[in-house]
Amino acid sequence: MLSELLQGIESGGFLIIRDSCRYSGRDLLKSFITAALNREEVIHILCFDVSEEELKDGLKPSDTQRLHIHNAYSDPLGWTGHPNFTVQQFSLEDLTNLVKQTSQPKPAVLVIDSLSWILRHKTPPAVCQTLQQLRKGGAVRAVIGLLHTDMHQRGTVGSVCHLATSLISVAPGVKGKEAVARVTKRTKSGKVMQDEGIFCIAEDFTVTILSKPSHAEHKTNSTEEEQTDPTANLTFNLRLSDSELEAKQKLTLPFVFSKEKKTALLHPGPGSGRILYEPDAYDDYDQEDPDDDLDV
Amino acid sequence: MAAPVNSVGKTSADRLQVNCTSFQKKTRSKLISIPGTRPSVQNGQLLVSTGVTSLDYLLGGGLAVGTVLLIEEDRFDSYSRMILKYFLAEGVVCRHELFVATAQDNPDEILQELPAPILDDVAVPKPVEQPRLTGEPQDSLDAMKIAWRYQNLPKVQSALASSSRFGHYYDVSKTMEVEIRQAAKCHRFYLPDHITPSSAAHRVESYSALLKSLQEVIHREGFDLATPMSKTRNILRVGLHSLGSALWGDDLCCHDKPRHSHALTTFLYGLRALLRSSLSVAVVTLPSHLIQDRALMGNITRLCDNAIALESFKGSERETNPLYKDYHGLLYVRQVPHLNCLARQLPDHKDLAFKLKRKQFTIERLHLPPDLSETVSRVSRGEPVVVASACGSSASGTKNLDF
Repeated sequence: MLSELLQGIESGGFLIIRDSCRYSGRDLLKSFITAALNREEVIHILCFDVSEEELKDGLKPSDTQRLHIHNAYSDPLGWTGHPNFTVQQFSLEDLTNLVKQTSQPKPAVLVIDSLSWILRHKTPPAVCQTLQQLRKGGAVRAVIGLLHTDMHQRGTVGSVCHLATSLISVAPGVKGKEAVARVTKRTKSGKVMQDEGIFCIAEDFTVTILSKPSHAEHKTNSTEEEQTDPTANLTFNLRLSDSELEAKQKLTLPFVFSKEKKTALLHPGPGSGRILYEPDAYDDYDQEDPDDDLDV
Repeated sequence: MAAPVNSVGKTSADRLQVNCTSFQKKTRSKLISIPGTRPSVQNGQLLVSTGVTSLDYLLGGGLAVGTVLLIEEDRFDSYSRMILKYFLAEGVVCRHELFVATAQDNPDEILQELPAPILDDVAVPKPVEQPRLTGEPQDSLDAMKIAWRYQNLPKVQSALASSSRFGHYYDVSKTMEVEIRQAAKCHRFYLPDHITPSSAAHRVESYSALLKSLQEVIHREGFDLATPMSKTRNILRVGLHSLGSALWGDDLCCHDKPRHSHALTTFLYGLRALLRSSLSVAVVTLPSHLIQDRALMGNITRLCDNAIALESFKGSERETNPLYKDYHGLLYVRQVPHLNCLARQLPDHKDLAFKLKRKQFTIERLHLPPDLSETVSRVSRGEPVVVASACGSSASGTKNLDF
């Protein structure tokens, strides 16, 4: 599912990449940016965490006219007189104006370098409301955000991720450059799809998906517990030998009914006052009337 | 107290006298019958159906008029939203009025997704098919040699049913037709239309705006019990989606120690007072999996009359557990009210699981087989509880950041 997301996010979508200090999600974010640039989309990046040069490093220089980076790294809180972009400008009106300034025909994709930075300086409910309004309004087509899960409380991470339509959690893999991505996608109809895969990012930020992780090993270990046999380890014998089993099958039970009688009793039809008589082995069923020889 | 059946017919003068003493003269007043309601067989309360017949059975026959049902949402809000839609669809079919309040999606989106009712006859579903022993031909009666008379009975009695059902069945794969939906009167409250969000809010104003709007609708449309009996009465069904989430401006779900922890509880107190004095019933969904403060969650549960919690298997490790393969999630009944009586009617079976089928949302008793293996590995009961640390707002994540 990771490759489908790389190929395009649906309009009105909100993708969050969750990372931690064990594995940084910025490379995956840059892969998304590269893929979107290759699709001829306009991208606006709010750059809080790292400097502009570091973010542009590795991206192809020919796409710069569709890529607009707003530098919020140098002065995010407006301490100098003339800041470029401050964290207070993260609201619906300011962002809409910012995106409209470039006057492109198509609505743009907004990439937020990190949501964690904004969440440290604005209250989570306000951030959630702004993100929801951005999704609903028409100014941006989709929003991609990077969130560092170990910087916030569980409730904050949960609340922001609750709004997302697609969620990718990255973790380090077993070998060198590999990483594990767990993808959750919610469609408009309410269906939830989940997927897990190992991926690897190359120098030019193309993502190669490797095989699925081997979680199957853990599962088989737990299900391979042997069924304990309750007839073992007893002082008396509960098992049957073959000849004993045969004799048991051959035994006629005292109340064995024929098949018709069983079906009649199991599925009672209308008028169930029938008498079904079957002579037993010991019954003396003589068709002749035994009272014939009475002289009455 | 919730509106008992015989007080609906009284005039306001009589009711004032009743409030001084608890003695109620039994008058043979005309019982106004409101379509879609019936009196409870247990305590005489006026009940409405929630739209899900198994849930009606769990709540003691239905939802009493004047009470609140709290649904703790599952992780992706799929099944709690489904139950809310069933509740609103039942209101449309019974010709009650609706009031829908949301902060995330427009109320019209929820109304457009209502499931279509199965209206052919009085809804009697096919009898539960007897589960046969697997891999056995139908006509072989040798399956049970000795106890063959019990062959056709099901192995376990899992379905919950009462003798008298009221409520309708819905087909989830189709949406309700526009004509049926528009015949019902619906009041909407979409939070961004009423409040301009400001980041430096000292009080959470969304809840008071919602309460005022609801009070105004109740008063204007005549659902108050105090209005004179001039016209036919109807029930107002109130559906509040995802209350307490960050989009309502509340930080209950965001912080471990929320600043406005009393906003939602005050709102629920006011809501219940409003409902008790009117002919309305409310269903509130709450993303309780985001609330870290368990004491606060206990307060919220106590302030609502009925409370259930849904836990869906999607995305957890229980999804692949073979015990749960027939079901979509677990359902917990957290609280059942005792209205005008001393004892509660708790369901006798505590392990319940639900399954969303196309024509029915079934809630069944979960039967766990006996565990005969030597290493008794019990299914883990949910995620481990994170203990809130004493010093400040700590990030509870991986251990690598502990100093």
